[in-house]
Amino acid sequence: MTLFTVARRYLASRPVASALTVAAVALGVSLVIATALLSRAIREGFVEGATDFNLIAGAKGSPTQLVLNVVFRMDTPTPNIPWTIYRALRDDPRVDMAVPVLMGDAYQGFRYVATSALYFAQPPWRRRAFRLAAGRLFRDDPPDRPSYEAVLGADVARRTGLHLGDRFWEGEEMAAYPLTAVGILAPTGSADDRAIFLSLASFWEMNEISRAMNPKPLTAVLVRPHRLSDLPALHRELNVGPGTQGVFPSAVLLSVFNLLRVVEDVLGAVLAIVALIVLLYLFVSMYSATFERRREIATMRALGARRTTVLGIVLLEASALAAVGGAVGILGGHGVAYLGALLLAMRSGVVARPFAVGLLQPVVFGAVVIVGTLAGLLPAVMAYRTEVAENLAPLA
Amino acid sequence: MPLSHRRGAQGGRDALATAALLVCLLLARWTGAQQVPRLTFAQLADSIRANTALSPSITAYGGTEVEIQGFIIPAGPPDLSFFLLSRVSATGNYCCELPSGQDEVVYVYSARGVSILYDPLRVYRVRGLFEAGRSVDAAHGVSLFRVRNARVEEAPGARIFKVGDPAPPVGR
Repeated sequence: MTLFTVARRYLASRPVASALTVAAVALGVSLVIATALLSRAIREGFVEGATDFNLIAGAKGSPTQLVLNVVFRMDTPTPNIPWTIYRALRDDPRVDMAVPVLMGDAYQGFRYVATSALYFAQPPWRRRAFRLAAGRLFRDDPPDRPSYEAVLGADVARRTGLHLGDRFWEGEEMAAYPLTAVGILAPTGSADDRAIFLSLASFWEMNEISRAMNPKPLTAVLVRPHRLSDLPALHRELNVGPGTQGVFPSAVLLSVFNLLRVVEDVLGAVLAIVALIVLLYLFVSMYSATFERRREIATMRALGARRTTVLGIVLLEASALAAVGGAVGILGGHGVAYLGALLLAMRSGVVARPFAVGLLQPVVFGAVVIVGTLAGLLPAVMAYRTEVAENLAPLA
Repeated sequence: MPLSHRRGAQGGRDALATAALLVCLLLARWTGAQQVPRLTFAQLADSIRANTALSPSITAYGGTEVEIQGFIIPAGPPDLSFFLLSRVSATGNYCCELPSGQDEVVYVYSARGVSILYDPLRVYRVRGLFEAGRSVDAAHGVSLFRVRNARVEEAPGARIFKVGDPAPPVGR
């Protein structure tokens, strides 16, 4: 009978204790894996979902709110800026492209984004490619003749079940201005998958307040200069103005990353404590199991088993528990990360892809097996030192 | 002396010599890292001639590793695989100083992105391969000064030199 067989039979002889130990290890490992995968995926989701425009002009207020709302469709829109701001930026010789954006209501939780066809343009500096999966883009209609045409993001079409030609609205007020789906975008892996795009003219006419406003309102203008070295000057000019602010979207995201880093540090400390508790649990489990079977160990020794054989059996048991728990935990961690990413995608514009196989999985697995084996070291030494005569004495 | 003792003594001397060599190599590497020439924004601005030509004193640094200190303007993606390094901060100095243009902006590229605690009011030290001269690329447009394969770290207490300041120190 090999060492492995003996260790396996010992573990099988106490199924509840073994299963609980595996579950404890698996839960601890799941937490570590899920946290690591999700935090990395969230960061990468922000990077991937970031806009290609270098500067966002909006109303004075929170830069974070402006970027989260305009780029990631989170939070509420910042106050409006007049259309004249857009016109000035569009006509500025330093500006290569300026795209007006107006954020507003929603249909089944998917935000309306009113903009111009330039939003989907594909200049050479743009990383994100917009492609129509079906239909066409909405018409850039003049303000007095809105077309009420809408282009649906990929997720919107999938989750609302809307098709080309469908007319839709939400709320009594909007019933008089139904939108018609004329296009569906291919997935972009960004918050644009969760948006309903329409022309500014349609949006202004649908809204009672903006209908009467002159100049017409906007939430933001996305700006790309010809020369990036002009960005600081453009940024300053927008910020010294009485009603506007200029924001570098990446600067806001880097501030969010700074906050994330603090959260990650705290989580790291919590996870270290969890790992310690799991380690202690494994140790206690192995210790009590070894203590309970002193008599069996003494019998094995009396039958000729060497001390090192007994040591090896206990260490094998500990490493087997750790290995199974580690493997289950890694699988479970991926499951939790997947659910977390799904939840995040449903509630925000950050598309996180947590299934990145790298060094994390083998390193965590190796560490769990090594640390788990170490946790079994003291019980193994205890088994090694078991006295035959003392433990084979009559029980009564 | 028995042969085995002599061999032991020889082995010990070899080990010592190897260790000394390693220390020397590490010191040389460390000293080399310290001797990267530092360029200032004053030098960059002073080097510009008519029609965006640059002085030979600056173009001579082309293709070599240099260090430049300045404020980060995150004009590219948030992983900072590309950003602008400027003499003027993206927020702080705006109260009293106009932001600089192409003369005092360096385009910084980092292949693997940069992992730093970003602060718009903090001065960063950028080291990498320097390129000088007008260049156009589709993603980032026109630039005069570039640093590629950049490594970035904080430069606490650093001073930013501007045109008219006394000559900057050579190296560090």
